[in-house]
Amino acid sequence: MRKLLIAALLCQSTFALADIVVSEPYARAVPHGQLNSAAFMTLKNSGNKAVDLISASSPAAEHVELHTHSNVDGVMQMRQINKVTIEANHTTILKPGGHHVMLIGLQQELNEGDSIPMTFTFSDGTTQEKQLPIKFVMPMNMDHSKHTEQSTEHKHTH
Amino acid sequence: MQSADGPVSLSDYRGKVVAMYIGYSACPDVCPTALAIMRQAFVSLPPEQQPFVAGLFVSVDPERDTPEKLKTYTQFFHPALTGVTGTKSEIDEVVALYGAFYRRIEMEDSAMGYAVDHSSRIYLIGPQGKLRNTISHNASPIELIEALQALLPSS
Repeated sequence: MRKLLIAALLCQSTFALADIVVSEPYARAVPHGQLNSAAFMTLKNSGNKAVDLISASSPAAEHVELHTHSNVDGVMQMRQINKVTIEANHTTILKPGGHHVMLIGLQQELNEGDSIPMTFTFSDGTTQEKQLPIKFVMPMNMDHSKHTEQSTEHKHTH
Repeated sequence: MQSADGPVSLSDYRGKVVAMYIGYSACPDVCPTALAIMRQAFVSLPPEQQPFVAGLFVSVDPERDTPEKLKTYTQFFHPALTGVTGTKSEIDEVVALYGAFYRRIEMEDSAMGYAVDHSSRIYLIGPQGKLRNTISHNASPIELIEALQALLPSS
């Protein structure tokens, strides 16, 4: 019993060191022939120091970059950014219309129901690999379950 | 403007309510969101109203968006959506007509090469071919459904 417990603790140790929890990652399903897509996720920082997401990579795309969208007087502008900061004890959500991980030069089709691996690198030197399900992204305000989850998550951070 | 199935003009849509969006298919985020809203609205309409609505996706990125590519792109969202593009002067004419805006932006460090800043609205054109309403790209499908129905001739 004790051995099992120690073994379990050892297995978890690499995750315990990282202050960032990556949850609900997903990538957008795209039509056949599309070269680009985007990935979204929730990044929760339970540590006392701000941590930046500095890069991501995936065998599913030739290039993976961090991008953001901003709405300037009704004009949507997409720009590359070099990091996404997750403040201490805060949650940053990458979602449609805001920060996103951009997949450029897709090496495969992204069909709903598939999944792709992605490795995230953070400024504290940690990396995490996640499996991202491919989803047909529905308009925010129709997707009730997701919306509620996100608002709850948001409340915890304040 | 050209679609994969030939030239498209608004006059082809007389009698229908047209939801039009101006964007580009390499746009990873706001454009697919707007098209997903259209899809959601179209499939939610009562079956008897569905033949009287249509969607147009006008690409301001003819360099990357061929009519064939736009067809695959728009059909992914809904069969009533048609993708069109044209020469720069044709695009500029449509953009000016609707008070829209776009601007090509070189992205020096990005593998994207360039992005296109663009205004992001769903234009609703009534059965007589006149612009009747505009809706934000982050409106809910329910708002779009209501706006479409308000323009449909009452049967």
